[in-house]
Amino acid sequence: MFYNFITGPLLWLSFGIFFIGLLVRIVNYVRGLDWQADRVAYRAHLGLGIKGALQSIVHWLVPFWSVGWRAKPLYTIIFFVFHIGLVVTPLFLEGHMVILKERWGVSWPTIPMGLADTLTIGVMVSAVCIAIRRIALPEVRIVTTFYDYFLLLITVAPFASGFLTVYQAPNPWAIKDFWLYAHILSGEFLLMAIPFTKLFHVVGYFLSRGQLGMDFGIKRGYKAKGGFAW
Amino acid sequence: MPEGILCNKTPVDTKEQLDAVLADKGGKKYYDEMKQLDVDVEKLKNTLQASFKSRMKTWLEMCAHCGLCGDSCFLYLANRKDPTQVPSYKILSTLGKIVKNNGNVDNAHMRYCMDVAWSKCTCCNRCGSFCPYGIDMGIMFGYLRGLCFSQGFVPWELKIGSGMHRIFKAQMDVTPEDWVETCEWMAEEQQDEWPGLEIPVDKEGADILYTCNAREPKHYPEDIAEAAILFHIAGENWTVPSDGWEQTCLTLFAGDWAGCKMQVENVYSAIERLKPKRVLGTECGHAHRCMVIEGPYWTGRQDGRPPKPYLHYTEWVAEALRTGKIKIDPAKKIKEPVTLQDSCNYIRNFGLKDVTREIMSYLVEPGYFVEMTPNKEHNFCCGGGGGINGIGMYRQQRNVGLKVKRDQILATGCKLIISPCHNCWDAIRDLEEVYELGIKWTFLKPLLIKMAIIPEHLKPKEEEGEEE
Repeated sequence: MFYNFITGPLLWLSFGIFFIGLLVRIVNYVRGLDWQADRVAYRAHLGLGIKGALQSIVHWLVPFWSVGWRAKPLYTIIFFVFHIGLVVTPLFLEGHMVILKERWGVSWPTIPMGLADTLTIGVMVSAVCIAIRRIALPEVRIVTTFYDYFLLLITVAPFASGFLTVYQAPNPWAIKDFWLYAHILSGEFLLMAIPFTKLFHVVGYFLSRGQLGMDFGIKRGYKAKGGFAW
Repeated sequence: MPEGILCNKTPVDTKEQLDAVLADKGGKKYYDEMKQLDVDVEKLKNTLQASFKSRMKTWLEMCAHCGLCGDSCFLYLANRKDPTQVPSYKILSTLGKIVKNNGNVDNAHMRYCMDVAWSKCTCCNRCGSFCPYGIDMGIMFGYLRGLCFSQGFVPWELKIGSGMHRIFKAQMDVTPEDWVETCEWMAEEQQDEWPGLEIPVDKEGADILYTCNAREPKHYPEDIAEAAILFHIAGENWTVPSDGWEQTCLTLFAGDWAGCKMQVENVYSAIERLKPKRVLGTECGHAHRCMVIEGPYWTGRQDGRPPKPYLHYTEWVAEALRTGKIKIDPAKKIKEPVTLQDSCNYIRNFGLKDVTREIMSYLVEPGYFVEMTPNKEHNFCCGGGGGINGIGMYRQQRNVGLKVKRDQILATGCKLIISPCHNCWDAIRDLEEVYELGIKWTFLKPLLIKMAIIPEHLKPKEEEGEEE
């Protein structure tokens, strides 16, 4: 009964909030752009703008492609291990695909369990590294707040609990399927939290990087051959 | 006391106000009054509502607090990685707090904002290119300066600078008459060496309309003479406007948005009036930023471009060398290690990195040009940008900041630095004064005059008596 509820209506609700929330974010962002206040002639030079936006986005999506990533090699590795695991594991996990097929009748190729495990461990280990980095480096510590740890925690929770589910770990309260429930609920909580927290950067990244790319493509770097060398 | 006599929310608009602020040497009384200045919370709230939009809102909200921007900031590096110099910390603790409290902040916070906005950021925009989200803290500090200015929390020198622009349409007290006289004087001075040299004023339909920085007529008139000599050598059909010749906007440094618009309109109206084919600015970074990069937006030009193609001096030099209008004597090419200062305003923020290197290829004997590390769009600010060069109260902070440029220069092993930007030029001059490296620094103009091949017909005719 409880299982049916959390994998039924609650799942729908979480996806609804996730998608609609992010859509609202995108619409609000674009509507709030102002050519004169931002000082970027978005419309007048749309072609240059799109080119600049794509350059800016792509350079930072690929490890070590941007000057910024190359300046911080260790962090870049941690960052990409974390993010690749976060995106790839849930989308291509065999266990998720079984449910998806059963409920919606759609499916796509999955990744082997061994890879899924590796990616999940990658997420957890890199999250620990990110937390340690927050404490160890003075330049990160000064900007870190409790909220940053909270976000890290709710992001990793579905992965840790999912991992424990797969390996049928015991739980202190001896509740049946405890880790499975924990996994589903923490996953749904994460989905619902994304549009309302800094985690909205799942779309915000593309908007913000794209905007700065347009700025440099249209105005600040249009005289440079090949655009701004991100 | 809600408003001071000198320090208040009203920009300096009259000669009397200006003289009163100027008479307060070093701004002693001005800064005393600032401690009592009230914050107009309602006005701040309204300004935020009208101008704080999704781009900056998203930047502040989304900042992941990752600290990657730290190492991108020369002031952070120069201050031995002091965490309070991390760009994200600087902006979150200033503008971030104003936004969070919806304008409800006190006098102490506004004075803190002023200190950070003018002594801990030169708006070089380097952090923007090192943030994974593309959060450009330089832009936000520019915005914060605007908020500070509107509330009267602005360094004394920049209150004056903004006032100068509002009264004289120039950053210094140079009237159109002074300007035209200086041009005439400079043209006359050159007649012995450059017979027939002219500085045409207000000529309609010229190929080039030349605009400059007020300190040229005020303190370095030879710079105008040099520009004229180079136009003379290149055979350009050029002119200067009697009004609308001042290309800089200290109002930009001051955060005086209305003053920025006023200054740009002044120059644009000279362009409309004289209808040149192109406009050319002097070797200055922020002047270019004002008239070419931001100016079109301040004046509401929807295409984001000035009314006529508006070149930076380096673009014209590269073109003149490329087309052979100016030819360099191969024997006079620079044969010592020489480096180039990339100005933030027209390299990082306009993309002229290739043009400046092209110039180097003409001026420097192969093998002698040494790049700084980092360079081009990732170069560090000279240390004197954004107005900090001129603010007495922040001199110490500025001098500490110069260390990064000092070390960059030392690493090149060069004793000669080419710096086609007034601000960078000043900063490097001061750097030599403070750290005594034994370096020389130069604009392009004097170098070009020294190295150019002078066409026979431009040379002074030998006295007839001497020939016989």
